[in-house]
Amino acid sequence: MKSKHKKYDFMKSLKSMLKVDFKRMFTMPLVYIMAGVSFFLPVLILVMTTMTGGNSSDGAANGEAAMQTFTNVWQSISSLSGTQMSMDLTGMCNVNMLYFLVAVFVCIFVAEDFRSGYAKNLFTVRSKKLDYVISKSLAGFAGGAIMIIAYFVGAIIGGAVAGLSFDVGAAGASGIVACMFSKIFMTAVFASIALLLGTVAKQKLWLSILGSLAAGMLLFTMIPMITPLDSSFLNVIMCLSGGALFGLGLGAVSNLILNKTSLV
Amino acid sequence: MNAIEIRNLTKNFGQKQALNGLNMTVPQGAIYGFIGENGSGKSTTEKLICGLLVPNGGTIKLFGKDYKDADVRAKIGVLIEQPGCFSNYSVWNNMMLQAANLGIKNAEEEVRKVLKTVRMEGSASNKFKNCSLGMKQRIGIAMALLGNPALLVLDEPINGLDADGMRIMREVLIDISDSYNCTVVISSHVLGELEKIATHYGIVRGGKMIAEMTAEELNNNCRTYVALKTKNPSAAKALLGRKFTRVETDENEYIRIYDTVKPEAVVEYLYNELNAVVTEIRTDKISLEEYYIDLMKGGRADNEIKA
Repeated sequence: MKSKHKKYDFMKSLKSMLKVDFKRMFTMPLVYIMAGVSFFLPVLILVMTTMTGGNSSDGAANGEAAMQTFTNVWQSISSLSGTQMSMDLTGMCNVNMLYFLVAVFVCIFVAEDFRSGYAKNLFTVRSKKLDYVISKSLAGFAGGAIMIIAYFVGAIIGGAVAGLSFDVGAAGASGIVACMFSKIFMTAVFASIALLLGTVAKQKLWLSILGSLAAGMLLFTMIPMITPLDSSFLNVIMCLSGGALFGLGLGAVSNLILNKTSLV
Repeated sequence: MNAIEIRNLTKNFGQKQALNGLNMTVPQGAIYGFIGENGSGKSTTEKLICGLLVPNGGTIKLFGKDYKDADVRAKIGVLIEQPGCFSNYSVWNNMMLQAANLGIKNAEEEVRKVLKTVRMEGSASNKFKNCSLGMKQRIGIAMALLGNPALLVLDEPINGLDADGMRIMREVLIDISDSYNCTVVISSHVLGELEKIATHYGIVRGGKMIAEMTAEELNNNCRTYVALKTKNPSAAKALLGRKFTRVETDENEYIRIYDTVKPEAVVEYLYNELNAVVTEIRTDKISLEEYYIDLMKGGRADNEIKA
């Protein structure tokens, strides 16, 4: 019987790996759960905070700090440039929360390969690990992009239900679109961090999640500055290059780790 | 050209030395029975062959090329420990995923063919987590067979199976060797089953290969013995023990004489010396299991590999 194996071809190998990863991603419940959480998160935040009244003068009168709530839908996406990152509801509860979710998603996605033993099937026939790293980075990025878009849709629906203003204000429509693209490209940074930690931790999911969350916390304060609501083309390019640089750099390290360490 | 050629392979896990200069030669087309006690280094060797572990020293060549060569690695099918399947996926989806991983065209046709080979064509829609151990092992073999590998590495596929599972697995393995024309390395503790299919053997102890041989050589190495029963076994054994170099009683109460001797001569000797009547006598050969136990006790095979 003639063997169907041909000479190694990187592009073919990458193509098959991408096919496997995207097929897996869309056949596992995780991506839908994550997308669902991303969708319902802004709906719940916007509707619940509006229902509680927010910015309550009663609370202030009693000496309690008033809770700053959302008055505009786009506040749940990001804040305007030049404004300091506030440690209140509007400052913390926005799309940036999803980066932690993206990291968890990538960690689970990678760890599942090792926990199920599928990594044995993958790496026995793949002596070169670069296609795996590229494919996982792209799948992680795509998963992250889906979550950001789901959040965006959820924010619009939540805002409409809560009766919040859709006024684009100083940010402008183009700024909000650029902001969304910047946010999407930023997921590549978190996906590559999670991938790196996933390859280090392998089947130890808790370790990769813990590491990713810790690394995410370090970057978290920088995100509002890089991706303000009134983002410009420059912000998009900056996030794209940042995502690409992180992807390439950390991807190379992940590749090295996979090549130099035991896989089971 | 040999399918596998390993020289002076070493592997340490921290302070523990799992492989200590292991040598191994597997000719192309062989069904290589890889035998050893738990912790002797079988699984470690197989994982190293598949590139899942990084060796500390030595060389591994597959089909004359370094084991890291991407073309060579694409020719390997593997089942190490548990099959690498997603428990919530159906058998079919797991198989299709592996077919995609290998970049196989006509994946559906290929998956159907290998599932038929492992007698699993009727269970393709079952979820992997609902399959029995025997079924899971066969799914693992089916996965390993996808893409017609030139080398199949199976780590203890028979262990833990019931009698029926073992029978099916034996039939599957014989089918594979007949129709897939690939080299198979199969490690197992169930030596009786291995004996029925293997063409070559490698026996590993303490991270070293202590003997490698063909089935024919093993057959020659397995000594012939005379087994007998008398009405006075203890006296007969004592008498025979004084005359012959190795006399033992087996689990069925037969007295075994491992020296080269004709059965008639034993019957005559016992009658003359002890007036003992031999009720049953036959000649036989020791099994692979007995040969292996002998070797593990410190006995030395004729073709033992010198360090």
